[in-house]
Amino acid sequence: MLLDSTVSANPEGRLKDILAKFEAVAANPLEYARDFKRDSGKRVIGLFPMHFPGELAHAAGALPIVLQADDEPVTIGQGSVFNFYCGYNRSIVDQAMRGEFAFLDAILFGDHCVQLLGTADIIRDHLPDTPILFNQLISIIDAEWAMEETQGTFRQLWRELEDLTGEKISDDQVRHSIGIFNRNRALIRQIYDMRRAGRIALTGSQMQHIVKSSMIMDKETHTALLEELVAKLEAAPPANNAVRVYLSGHLCHAAKLPILDLVEECGGVVVDDDLYTGYRYIAADVEETGSPVDALSRWYLEKNKKIPCPTRADKDLDWEDFLLAQVDKSGAQGLIVLMVKFCEPHMYFYPEIKEAFERRGIPHLMIETEHEEMPMEALKTRMETFLEIAKRRVAA
Amino acid sequence: MQMTSEMTPPGGAKVASPVFGNGMRANRLSTTKRGGKLVNDYWADLFRAKEEGKKIVWYNGTYIPPFFHAHDVAWVHGEAWAAYLAAKHGEMPAQQKGEARGYDRELCSYARTHIGQALIDLEKLKNGTLGIDDDDPRAETMRKLPAPDMIINAYPYCSSGQQWDDITYRLFGKKIPIFTISIPLLWGGRPDAGYMQGEEWQQRSQYVAKQLVAMTKFLEEHTGRKYDFDRLSEVMSYVKKAATLRMEAMDLCAATPAPASFFDWIVSIAHVNFLPGTQAIVDYFEDVKAEIQQRIADGVGAVPNEKYRLFFDGMMNWNKVGWLADKFAAVDATVVAGRYTHMSFWQEPQLVDLKNPVLGMAQNYLICPNNHGAPIMIGEIERVCDKFNIDGMVMHASRTCRGMTNSQFLIADSAKKKGRQAMFFEGDVADESFYKDELLNTRLEAMIETLEAKKRAA
Repeated sequence: MLLDSTVSANPEGRLKDILAKFEAVAANPLEYARDFKRDSGKRVIGLFPMHFPGELAHAAGALPIVLQADDEPVTIGQGSVFNFYCGYNRSIVDQAMRGEFAFLDAILFGDHCVQLLGTADIIRDHLPDTPILFNQLISIIDAEWAMEETQGTFRQLWRELEDLTGEKISDDQVRHSIGIFNRNRALIRQIYDMRRAGRIALTGSQMQHIVKSSMIMDKETHTALLEELVAKLEAAPPANNAVRVYLSGHLCHAAKLPILDLVEECGGVVVDDDLYTGYRYIAADVEETGSPVDALSRWYLEKNKKIPCPTRADKDLDWEDFLLAQVDKSGAQGLIVLMVKFCEPHMYFYPEIKEAFERRGIPHLMIETEHEEMPMEALKTRMETFLEIAKRRVAA
Repeated sequence: MQMTSEMTPPGGAKVASPVFGNGMRANRLSTTKRGGKLVNDYWADLFRAKEEGKKIVWYNGTYIPPFFHAHDVAWVHGEAWAAYLAAKHGEMPAQQKGEARGYDRELCSYARTHIGQALIDLEKLKNGTLGIDDDDPRAETMRKLPAPDMIINAYPYCSSGQQWDDITYRLFGKKIPIFTISIPLLWGGRPDAGYMQGEEWQQRSQYVAKQLVAMTKFLEEHTGRKYDFDRLSEVMSYVKKAATLRMEAMDLCAATPAPASFFDWIVSIAHVNFLPGTQAIVDYFEDVKAEIQQRIADGVGAVPNEKYRLFFDGMMNWNKVGWLADKFAAVDATVVAGRYTHMSFWQEPQLVDLKNPVLGMAQNYLICPNNHGAPIMIGEIERVCDKFNIDGMVMHASRTCRGMTNSQFLIADSAKKKGRQAMFFEGDVADESFYKDELLNTRLEAMIETLEAKKRAA
């Protein structure tokens, strides 16, 4: 089992142990989930990004896991998905074809991304015995009827989870799960605060391991490790001369680690991000009192105020304004946009970001990421140049 | 969705025909040429709308113009405008303008054309110039497109379509009021689900209808006039008649040889998609139906020597309508039906109750062919294929229209299980650079040979 590592007695060793555990789960999420199912006898339910809360599935006694892209090249999946779909969709289809999801007790779909909708149908076709609980969340979150519609969606999901398990899910159970998830999110936000303040040295990859493992692991186990981690992180502040950068984008799935590692290798340090496998995932909490359906609905409809999402229609909020404010707040010297190739919402909104940053004179670098191999040497040159520009801009 | 594009007339020399096959060309319905005049009249009326004091709605998505027509506001369909520019060879400057701002060419090419053109228009407004030479053939057209007073988005299924108008709204400085309608996917996962049946169907019908009524409030708010639902019923009476005639005429094409082809229906979509609901569209489809009946009586087909009957799946390649019509004719294949033409655009007109049309309109919007989960959608495709005695499927993998490419592998698999051939070809809705002619030639030849072998074996 992935968590059966030895425990170090000294603080630095323990810090490494915890990070190594998060890294191991992040690297092999399905292995962790299979082990968990075998050891606990509980159900495992797959969730699709980016807006479906795991709390209801947790309250139903299952382990909710956010399904991840894996590192395998897309092979057998080529026969079911076009190569002009994003790497996440292609990888998910490929994993489904390889039988990786056969152990799941159910899959929850809830997004309106047109590519994900296609993936949903392919999975339904290839995993006919896996229940798919499809409840599409309204994407027009400032519509007059958005609250009523969202409440209806969560009520329907609640009923379907009860049907799946054959047991009633009480309000108290959901509130209890919400509390567990909130605690986990709060701890990760605390780590983000520490990183933003320059008090700790966590690489982009390490932060990804923390968040990605949170999407997979039993939340209480993860939280216990986070509590230890927070207490031990203070010891290692980052180097003073590194260029401070903000990472943005990469919706739905985790960026490749070698791309993140380039930041530090080229003399930068990540001080903040709005990545989905990053701050976006833990930015908003759910109220722990009152009706859970109402609380989850408010969470869904209001989390855009924490970090605007280009997949949601919201007249008032603009991603570029948010990013400019966050770059200011975090003291970042530049912005790196990680855009998944073929990610339509990001392609639509990127020019807004680009122009806003050009107007403000803040350096930014756009990197288009692909599921398959990337030209890392060329990317390294671009990264070095960008960091040099950012450094000089500050000095000027 | 679409607008018309010029088809090559039989024997005409207007557009170079592909050098392919036996050289035969499509036998286009003569009525559709007259249909082109209705489309041109629509654009001419639109270009005058501001002078006539009308408010202008820019909209994208499903066929909601009857709501605008009934309220005497003019409407611009973004997809149709993009296709109109393409038909006038004006799409490239718009797409280049968009790309220069950073819009990736993997984005919906309708959107890139529309957004790019809006960028050109905005620059024109800022500079007081068009930014192109006055003798450029595009100049007059571009000068005339009225700017929006309102933006309405009503896209079934496609998230990209919704995001497109989110950007249009921002391009105009967030000063133009926008209204977005949610038309959710009919997933069809509940036990009672079926085509136009089940709890989900009932719930979603009411949900969309409610939003359409809210849209009329939005129109009232931004025009200062009360919405007239009686007028909507009147407009819909024409649309319903036209749609019924269209479906009847399509059904007549079950005859052998098929008297009209998918490409005839393609150039007749504007009439049920965004043209005004008047007697003119009723007359048009009466004429189309009459010509089809006459062709059946005379034994005349849409392809001179029909040997094979095909189904076209996917979005149309608007740069290549005439080209493709001739290409299939050149191998004696009639593309008899398609998902885009036969499973959309008021294809269930009987749902519209003229006394209270909103619910039936909502239901027709919901059954956009993309907007079903694959099992129900494929069931409907198979029903159409059976009706028209289809031998093979032509799958257009339109590069930037994922709404139509989703499920195409499942559709092809299903066709093969039913004993139908299936082939793919690459292209796009409004970006010609994705079209690879030689690939289509090779694959089409291979499919035709297989069909021929099957016929011989039988």
